Amino acid sequence: MKRWLNQHRYALGVAVRRLLTQPFSSLCNMLVISLSLAVPIVVAAVLDTAQPVVRQIPVSAEVTLYLDLASPPGTASRLGAELRQRHSNDIESIEVIDRDQALAELRSRPAWSDALAVLPDNPLPDAIVITLRQHPEIAQTTTQLSAEWKQLDGVDTVQVDSTWVQRLQALLDFLSIGLWILALGVAIVVLATVFNTVRLQALTQREEIAIARLVGATESFVRRPFLYLGAMTGLISSGLAVVAAWAALQPLNTAINRLASSYGTELSLRLPDSVSLLLAGMVVAILGALSARWSVNRNTRF
Amino acid sequence: MIEFQHVFKSYGRGRNILADVNFRIQPGEFVFVSGPSGAGKSTLLKLIGGLEPPSRGATLVNGHRSDRMPARARPYLRRAVGVILQDMHLLYDRNAIQNVLLPLAVAGHAPGQSLSRARAAMEKVGLSGKEDLNPIEMSGGEQQRLAIARAIVNRPSILIADEPTANLDEDSARRIMDVFRDFNRVGVTTLIASHDRSLMASYATRTMRIEGGRFTDIPGAG
Repeated sequence: MKRWLNQHRYALGVAVRRLLTQPFSSLCNMLVISLSLAVPIVVAAVLDTAQPVVRQIPVSAEVTLYLDLASPPGTASRLGAELRQRHSNDIESIEVIDRDQALAELRSRPAWSDALAVLPDNPLPDAIVITLRQHPEIAQTTTQLSAEWKQLDGVDTVQVDSTWVQRLQALLDFLSIGLWILALGVAIVVLATVFNTVRLQALTQREEIAIARLVGATESFVRRPFLYLGAMTGLISSGLAVVAAWAALQPLNTAINRLASSYGTELSLRLPDSVSLLLAGMVVAILGALSARWSVNRNTRF
Repeated sequence: MIEFQHVFKSYGRGRNILADVNFRIQPGEFVFVSGPSGAGKSTLLKLIGGLEPPSRGATLVNGHRSDRMPARARPYLRRAVGVILQDMHLLYDRNAIQNVLLPLAVAGHAPGQSLSRARAAMEKVGLSGKEDLNPIEMSGGEQQRLAIARAIVNRPSILIADEPTANLDEDSARRIMDVFRDFNRVGVTTLIASHDRSLMASYATRTMRIEGGRFTDIPGAG
């Protein structure tokens, strides 16, 4: 056990020495990997920030029908009942808002009471607020029904209230899938870069490997420094990637805060939590070590 | 003990470098392997050191059938056999003591213990005080002694050297041979491939001549 630990300590020392003897080349490789890793971290930050915000917004589609001002009283209730019967599969709930009731409600608000007091009569129409049932094709159904309802007698305007949220959610879902594809691409970049680094290292260390074998080195002993090299490259690159992603988020945050404040809210992009970042770093380190193992097995057969 | 039984060695479909070689070397013997260039001396040493397997026949080193040894076990045999090849194979990006430390690192010795053993090995071959020199700063004889220090630092029971005195002047060659004789006197089985008849006359207790792939055993000086 002690010998095994000594061998690992030696391998780690050799790997560090190999990194330090070619600092510029090592740094270039790490920068390539870290910049590739920074992109999914930034996308993950955007998703992490946007998804909870979107989830807080009610995503069920609401369609509001505003009736003609000239519609006789009771039209809204009759139309509401008719629609509930005709589209019972699509409609979750219906709320009929009487124009007098709406006016009374507005008058109870101090900001509106003075303005409404000077009006000769009620400017508000009767309204029917329809909440549609959730299903994957909700956006399509909403568009179809709102077009149909616009043609109904007595309906002046149809307003679809939450389609944009669903579209945003769909976009975020798309981005989530994109993030996984991006992560796969980055994994390939890590594998390829470490593979090539180790290949070049193995070629330059050819003599040392031959001598180590001559004096009784096992293949594990030969491989070990390269595995450490791959893992360290992955780990250091991950650290650099977090720094790069953090730096990239600063100007993005300034811009997004300006946008959010115009809506009277606060929003800031944050890096994924430290546990996720640590796990991701470990995965990259393992990928680096695996790639190094593959490379050293292929390039030290002499 | 080293024993070869009906050993053949060829590369690819080429002629046999070694053909039906049979011999036994007892522990603690000092043996010269002589013969013209290309006769198969280096090949014989590589077979003993487990660096290459024979094409046919049985090779026994320290009681183990090295010809039947799986590849993953051969490194452990190599640790018991100190090998000094013709071109020394030193690491020129490290200093002398780091070269000697390599076999100890391979065997998994602790750094502190390794350092004292490496210094002792360098002292035995007369390289005290030259630990920090790069091998390139050393003379040919010193480099050869450094290669010997690296070969003996793991305290092998067998020492094999391929033309260790080639390209050295007579004085340096004798100093190198004295180092081998000293190790042999403490029980290390020593095999040296050489075609230097004067050295054989001075040091050999047994000489095996190889020519055309076949062996002739000559007890005493060559």
